[in-house]
Amino acid sequence: MTMRNPIRISPNRPQQSSPNGLKRIVLRASDTIEMYAQPKPLRTVNNPKASYLVIAHSERGSLSDHALQTIAAAAILADAETNVLALILGALTDDLANFGADQVIVISELDFEHFQPELELASISALIDSIQPTRIFMPDNHTGDGDLGRRLIARQKTKTAATQVIEMNVDHVATYQAGGTLIAQTTLPEIILLAANAVDTHLPFIALAQRSKQAITNLAIANSYQDLDMQTIAATEIALEEADFIVSAGNGVENVASLESLAHALQASIGASRVAVDDGKFSRDKQIGASGKTVSASAYLAIGISGAVQHLQGIKDCRHVIAINTDTSAPIVKRADLSVIGDAEEIMRALINLIAEAKSANLKVAA
Amino acid sequence: MNIKHITVLVSTGRHPTSGVPRHCRNDSLALTIGVDLSQTKAADLEVLHAGNANNPALKDYLALGADQINVIPTEPDSDIVDSFAERLGDADLILTGSRAENGQDSGLLPYLLAEKLNIPIIANALELKQEGDKLEVLQFFPKGKRRRVAVTLPAIIAIHPLAAIELRYAYVRQQQGKIIALTKPAHVAAESHLQWNIAPKLRKPIKLKAPENLTGHERLLAAITSENKGGTVVNDGNCVEKAQVILSYLREHQLIAF
Repeated sequence: MTMRNPIRISPNRPQQSSPNGLKRIVLRASDTIEMYAQPKPLRTVNNPKASYLVIAHSERGSLSDHALQTIAAAAILADAETNVLALILGALTDDLANFGADQVIVISELDFEHFQPELELASISALIDSIQPTRIFMPDNHTGDGDLGRRLIARQKTKTAATQVIEMNVDHVATYQAGGTLIAQTTLPEIILLAANAVDTHLPFIALAQRSKQAITNLAIANSYQDLDMQTIAATEIALEEADFIVSAGNGVENVASLESLAHALQASIGASRVAVDDGKFSRDKQIGASGKTVSASAYLAIGISGAVQHLQGIKDCRHVIAINTDTSAPIVKRADLSVIGDAEEIMRALINLIAEAKSANLKVAA
Repeated sequence: MNIKHITVLVSTGRHPTSGVPRHCRNDSLALTIGVDLSQTKAADLEVLHAGNANNPALKDYLALGADQINVIPTEPDSDIVDSFAERLGDADLILTGSRAENGQDSGLLPYLLAEKLNIPIIANALELKQEGDKLEVLQFFPKGKRRRVAVTLPAIIAIHPLAAIELRYAYVRQQQGKIIALTKPAHVAAESHLQWNIAPKLRKPIKLKAPENLTGHERLLAAITSENKGGTVVNDGNCVEKAQVILSYLREHQLIAF
């Protein structure tokens, strides 16, 4: 009987020593220890046989998370022979490579600020006729895309469609019916209006995101609609859940008056953390967090807020979080897109002065 | 153009917990707007429903202001867009809620009708008023935005749930009102390309995720090192410089206009 070779562990296998002198074995045998992320592979489609078209409006030159999820969804569902085309209505400054768009077509004239559904529909239909996409994806939101998508479904009668898709994979889509009590499934339709948060935008690959601009072709189109104006309700009158710019105060704010004047200068709504509300500095309806309100502002200025989990839960949908804090290790710093470390009162004052200067300079230019 | 004929399309709703049939609030808002408009403009009002005339939910609409409800009888597979389109030929203004509580609940009906009748559609309307020969509509958008749009008549207007309208319920009207079943239209089966498989909602929807082939080591690393999401941290400079950093960030992302 021959003895099987015992598994020998090389005493020289790769290892690291931790700060307190302990040896840590590295599980994967390789010469270098890669603690940093490897660049993602590039997804390219050499001979596209089909194409998926994603249509979304941009806002202030960037796409909402919902729109990015829709592009990622198309990229995940696309096979090796399918091109992912993103048609962006409105200006775009973001790079869509991380979200899997192979080609990006921008029509900057058709932005969301102007209501021109017939022109949009005509431009889209022209593009659909020329590229013949196998599927069309749109975010089902209230900022133009849900409306445009339904107009498109009504116009393209021969195409199958589903709205408010909450779940999808390569063979089916699902939506809620009867007010969310039933779940209805069907095979993948040709037009998909996707609900928010149905897709994880993390992709293991990047795409080329080749840019091309397209001008609108048929300007002379019968228009039954006349866009009069777009109004924005004053920040003080708007409900906190609906606010687009929020200045929020925490324990680090001692002078409520300067916070209020900063919010006034920025035309922002005022929010507060639980501690500030408990201290009696703000009313209960201003509280943001797990036991208060969940907000979805584009800009959230967190002043003197450490960022407890409950508070971060309330601001999870905010796009740009800016923190002013004295503590570099506060949890809000990990969440914030920009963190400024320093005294809240001094920075608030400086910010108010700078805004006043900028506004008066603007007035001089205009005059 | 004067508004002479207003049609309100109503669907039936259900109580979210008990499932008892009741009016659909979105459609009731449209009905109240329609009733008010028909009184100020001296226009006639038709309330239209496609379905079963014996549905107890329809009585709610009588109480909420409809004198009479005309019901187009349907079969489970018939196309209600066609049945509605036939009756809407002379309507100057068609009002409906933006979303049903029953049935497919896709919010598509007003759009399909508009395409069929070849008239404009405006969704998410909060207020309506007539200006000359056009109808001025205040449209709802999130984040405190409102848009005013003028539209030529005839048009379909879908009312947003946040429209500032008080529903007025009167029992006496419920007793006085009539529900009339219209003659059954020629049966046109809906061209449904999709076969929906409907089941009670027993689970949460599954998020779509990109498949990833990771080695055990990579999975372990992904579990112990969180993706460094933190943004820039500004530690240096005096308070004016720090404030300037915030201001330039806001400008860079077009969050302020000065």
